[in-house]
Amino acid sequence: MMNDRDILKYSLADFGHNDNDDVLAPPQDFLTWIKDPRVAMAFQFFEQPMLAAPTPRTSLRTNLDGVTRQMINLTSYNYLGLSTHPEVVAAAKAALDTYGVGAAGAALLSGTFDQHELFAEELARFKQKDACVLFSSGLGGNMGAIQAILQRGDVLVIDDKCHKSLIDGAKLAGAKLVSFAHNDANSLDETLARHKGKRVLVAIEGVYSMDGDLADLPAVVEVCESHGVPIYLDEAHSTLLFGENGRGIGEHFGLEDKIGVSFGTLSKSFGGVGGFVCANENLVRYMKCYASPFQFSCALPPAIVAAMRKSLEVATRDSSLRDAMWENVHYFRKNLESLNLDLGESASQVIPIIIGSSGEHLIMMAMAAQQRGLFLQPIDFPAVEAHARRFRISVSSQLTKQDIDEACNIIEDVIARPLGRV
Amino acid sequence: MSKDQIIEVITRNLLENIDDLDQSAINPESSMRDYGANSLDIIEVVSCSMRELKIKVPRSELAEVQNISQLADKFLEYVNA
Ligand SMILES: Cc1ncc(COP(=O)(O)O)c(C=O)c1O
Repeated sequence: MMNDRDILKYSLADFGHNDNDDVLAPPQDFLTWIKDPRVAMAFQFFEQPMLAAPTPRTSLRTNLDGVTRQMINLTSYNYLGLSTHPEVVAAAKAALDTYGVGAAGAALLSGTFDQHELFAEELARFKQKDACVLFSSGLGGNMGAIQAILQRGDVLVIDDKCHKSLIDGAKLAGAKLVSFAHNDANSLDETLARHKGKRVLVAIEGVYSMDGDLADLPAVVEVCESHGVPIYLDEAHSTLLFGENGRGIGEHFGLEDKIGVSFGTLSKSFGGVGGFVCANENLVRYMKCYASPFQFSCALPPAIVAAMRKSLEVATRDSSLRDAMWENVHYFRKNLESLNLDLGESASQVIPIIIGSSGEHLIMMAMAAQQRGLFLQPIDFPAVEAHARRFRISVSSQLTKQDIDEACNIIEDVIARPLGRV
Repeated sequence: MSKDQIIEVITRNLLENIDDLDQSAINPESSMRDYGANSLDIIEVVSCSMRELKIKVPRSELAEVQNISQLADKFLEYVNA
């Protein structure tokens, strides 16, 4: 079915359906595809082991040649550098001594420690909601919350660019999943009009993870209010970073009270792992009873929770970390703009460099970047649209001007020049 | 297989995936979006149609397709390959 000439046109979007009679084998053409040397070259960028902390200067054993290199890291989500913050690490160590390594149980039965209880209260207060439920991952949080809130016959309306965890949540719930055109209030309005009379929830993100643009929250709120439909806001890439007090995009737009459910993850700006969902008290109580990732999975390790409490404290006692990050965002952008690169609609610490439709160019540039000591991962179709393949920079507060200058020199040589931008 | 037969397959799958859609209303020169299909619906219609036609057109090739007729043209290249 797949001819050799076309191999490079195929992508992970093409093999999700398995028609192999052998249930324990992938589709035959998937194997032909992924073993082709040209495809294998692109897959080398996955699962490359880091040998040091995910800070701006790290050590990577690259799959390209097996060599361990010191790299400038523009890929980790460690936006505020909290994963290695001395106070956060100290809090984790102290809690390890007290509680040991694992929670040894699901939250309902024996996995809840005083740390979990305190942190949930702190997060609820921070997000200005009644209550909060913690999950062992962000993905589990989104899936579990949607699973508990919706059911068969209900409708989850998501922005076209929403994360997979929301899509999977709708599947788990058995709810109908419908999408509207990215950030397009008219499309949302038409979509909601089409589902009048049903129980409907609208899910959007504060900062969209592949583009770094912001939700048009004022417009979404207006449309949702006119239809009487509540909003679920995923603030994975905006919590601790946006708003006067770092509470996120809701605070940034002054619309926190219009958000029905506020989701966040602990794996990005917090520098750890886990997810949390804040909402009214009754809904949180209900979610705890019907969200499988909460009910039927081990709770977060108490030491991680203690560390995340410290992350919250450090990131909110003043604005210094996010101020440092924003200063870096502005400096980085100015440099990238002077290279005439296409940064899409980014208005955050997530900055794409959109290179166009050629997957081969993307991979060649990514190899060159890595050989020059820049850890900047390529993002290929279907994660992003086929005409807008890209690199994606995660700006960290920990980057120095020198790191950024050095990174931009490499970006100029391996991306901007080949693209004819400079 | 003719283009008309391919359009028939696509149209049938569109009808199965979109509520309250009338077959006589479907014009191949229109986009599925004109009939209320969102991007997830379109992925489903395309997947079901390709499976039925026993073809696998790379998804990356479908980005520029604007309407049902163009989709059928693309499918036709692979049906007769
Ligand atoms: C928008 C969004 N929501 C949810 C998640 C899931 O979070 P986690 O990686 O912490 O499980 C991510 C990140 O992967 C994300 O980008």
